[in-house]
Amino acid sequence: MTRLAGKVLCVDDEPGIVRSLQWLLQKQFEVFTATSGAEALELVKQHDFDVVISDQRMPVMTGVEVLREVRKLSPRTMRILLTGYSDMQAIVRSVNESEVFRFINKPWNISELPKVVAQAITIAKTQPVETPAAEIPEDAPIIANGERILVIDDDPEMGRAVADLVGASAKVSYTRNLADAVGILNNEDVSVIISETRVGTIDATRLVRLMKSKHPEIVTVMLTGESDADTITTLINQGQIYRFVPKPIRTGYLKLVLQSALRKHGALVSDPALTFRHAVETTSAGAMESLISDVERAAPQAETAAAAKGGGFMASLGAGFRRLFGAG
Amino acid sequence: MRFRLVRYFTLASLGMFGLVALSLIYFEREQSQFYKQTNDEQLAFFGDVQQSFAKQQEDAARRDLLTIHEAGNVNLTRLFANALWERDFAPFVAQVQAIDVTGCQAIADVTDDKGKKAAPPEKKACFADIGKRIMALPGFKAIDAKVFDSMKKSTVFKIKVFDLRGITVYSSEHAQIGEDKSFNAGWRSAAFDGVPKSELTHRGKFSAFEGVVENRDLIGSYLPVLEPGSSRIVGVFEVYSDVTPFLKQIQQTSGQIRSTATDNQKKLGEAAAANQDAVDATSYRQLATIAGLLLLLFAALLVIVRRAEKIIQQQEADRAHAHQQLAQSEKMASLGQMVAGVAHQLNTPLAFSQNNILMVKDALQSMELPMKVAGRLSSILEDVDGDKVTIKVSQLKANLDKLQEGNVDVTMLQEMLKDVLGGIDQMSELVVNLRDFTRLDRAATTNADLNKALHTVAYIAQTVLPKNIELVEEYGQLPSVECNPSQLNQVFLNLINNAAQAIEGPGRIRIRSFAEGDQVHVEVQDNGRGIPDDVLPHIFDLYYTTKPAGEGTGLGLAIARNIVTEHGGDITVSTRIGVGTTFTVTLPVRQEAPLAQAA
Repeated sequence: MTRLAGKVLCVDDEPGIVRSLQWLLQKQFEVFTATSGAEALELVKQHDFDVVISDQRMPVMTGVEVLREVRKLSPRTMRILLTGYSDMQAIVRSVNESEVFRFINKPWNISELPKVVAQAITIAKTQPVETPAAEIPEDAPIIANGERILVIDDDPEMGRAVADLVGASAKVSYTRNLADAVGILNNEDVSVIISETRVGTIDATRLVRLMKSKHPEIVTVMLTGESDADTITTLINQGQIYRFVPKPIRTGYLKLVLQSALRKHGALVSDPALTFRHAVETTSAGAMESLISDVERAAPQAETAAAAKGGGFMASLGAGFRRLFGAG
Repeated sequence: MRFRLVRYFTLASLGMFGLVALSLIYFEREQSQFYKQTNDEQLAFFGDVQQSFAKQQEDAARRDLLTIHEAGNVNLTRLFANALWERDFAPFVAQVQAIDVTGCQAIADVTDDKGKKAAPPEKKACFADIGKRIMALPGFKAIDAKVFDSMKKSTVFKIKVFDLRGITVYSSEHAQIGEDKSFNAGWRSAAFDGVPKSELTHRGKFSAFEGVVENRDLIGSYLPVLEPGSSRIVGVFEVYSDVTPFLKQIQQTSGQIRSTATDNQKKLGEAAAANQDAVDATSYRQLATIAGLLLLLFAALLVIVRRAEKIIQQQEADRAHAHQQLAQSEKMASLGQMVAGVAHQLNTPLAFSQNNILMVKDALQSMELPMKVAGRLSSILEDVDGDKVTIKVSQLKANLDKLQEGNVDVTMLQEMLKDVLGGIDQMSELVVNLRDFTRLDRAATTNADLNKALHTVAYIAQTVLPKNIELVEEYGQLPSVECNPSQLNQVFLNLINNAAQAIEGPGRIRIRSFAEGDQVHVEVQDNGRGIPDDVLPHIFDLYYTTKPAGEGTGLGLAIARNIVTEHGGDITVSTRIGVGTTFTVTLPVRQEAPLAQAA
């Protein structure tokens, strides 16, 4: 029996769950269990865990709170959140505060879970840890070196807001349709994508997920007015989005997010190995094709600069997609 | 009491119209009466005027008659005096002067019963005696004959002659000779002032020249006799002339005037009556027109009001329908929340049970080969008598890893299955509680153990509440309560959910129950933020909510109170900002009236 020298901590207030996880994982990993957040943090202080799996819904301390503390205590530990039912607020917080690696839904798939844990352990053991960013005060100026920020949103106000925030330190491209976004991504070296989950009638998350799987150094920030937990779960697991900004947008918060997104991008570029920490699940097959067809269908109605280019547009659009995401 | 628009409107407006009609009739009657009175007064005045005219006319005619006859009598007296005085009467009067009358005149008058002075009978007798002496005088018969002769066939009925002492010297009615007229106003006027004095009298019986006549109107004139050729008064004549035909004419004329006046009066009365009738008819028409208009107005208003009532009823029905739908959606929302909580609650035991069973299944599969080997070994051992057996292990060695894999810890598998059983227990507990909560398979109204119901609700609520909210259950001894447990469950769940929503972060909800007399009390107490003063009075109001539009229906507490009130109970609240809120439901142990079935 091969036993990976990986240390995993399972946290759930329900003893049945932690015992079950222990039985599932103990064949491959060294498994510790805790039935409360306090107990878990105590263990994290004593041991050097590669992965912490925590249930969200626990008394006293929620899973997000436990994982946030774990991130502070042990930055190299990969964090996985176990959720039984969808709580939008908890999920957004888990993304923004705990930077979780994966969401796992109960009941879990017993063949998949060990694989996810194994991947996380591999990353934890092999990939370097970025130095945790110091707390950034809200009034600090945005530090940027001419990076390009792509804003995709129906509301032009969003593009202006971002442009106002970064000033001359970074270039901001705004578009309200995905065909243009593809064009910009092909032609420009985009560092940060700020995108609404839906643009027009098209689900924009697929673009973000596809971009992240091929270009992990791009930092993605999602804006969302709607509260569909499944969308966000998929985005974190397949898109490794960096932050969620719920609409309506608070300018101070957006500035903080931009600040740290630019910094994150800087870190990812300077040390490409870091991107492995943000490895994504394989995007479901056909996502690119369905995105291309959706964008092509929507394109004739869109008043775009690209559309004005005429007949060759459709062909160039498909080519653009393929160039971006590799062969289909 | 229900407000009935059409009925109230009809009563009020008909009553008002009735009052208006009554007052109109009253005023019309007043007016008509005033008109009638004025008319009557005018008629009476007119009548008076006419009567007065007729009377004046008659009076004037009589005065004229008197004046004319007086003048006639004066002339007659002149003629008479000229004809008779100098030759016949002067010597005769002179003879009479010789008779002393002072004795008779000295007899005092007596006052009769009516206060009127009259001559006593002895005085009358005294003068009558004088009269006899006068008639006894020579020349009387001749004078008498002459007077009769000259007056025959004339309108003069009687002639009297007085001397200046007032003694009747001559009278065509002989019985009167000798009478003393010295106190007579007419005589005095003629004798002393020389002014004739006439008087119109009606006599029932009168001794005239022709004999006694009856029913005659006479003008009697006292006329001074002047000595011919001088203005010296020497005696007084009294002449009676008959004016009966003239007076009859006058009376006829005035009768005609009167009858004309009466006719006029009558005509005027008739005209007034006709006018009155016309005025009355007009006012009746007026009344009828106003009544008709009022009825028309009433009919129009009635149509409008009925239409309005229909619209109001429709709106009320719509509102009731909308309310019902909202109540239903509220129920569905809380049900949905409950289902989500229950699903999550089920998910946990389901997750580890599924995991464990799959692992046990895998383990059992890996145990297949070792079990087969063990089975074969046991059958070999059965056939062998000795102590030693030779087994070929080359095949087994090839599958050594599989055998090793099957060497699982059976105790661990038992533990796993024990956990699965525990998970199944959890799930069945949840199912039992769910069934107790909904009570779909029970009677609606029953004698229920409220503590059990509260525990069920608390259990269900726990599945939805954040885990950092602690539910503390403190139940006292309760009698069984006659109630609709399904409805009360809804109330308690609502109160617990509200309590949880009042808590930010960790908190505690305390559910207490206790009995007091024939009532039971259930308290749901939280240590949340409390209810602000401006919100507190409205919390039980229908559609009142502090949540953003679309999140709260504002029906929860309104429905809760409705249910509790229908149970004959009461729901109260006490709150302190920053400390917490306590809702207390008080219920009677027994119901007086059967409970409604609807939620």
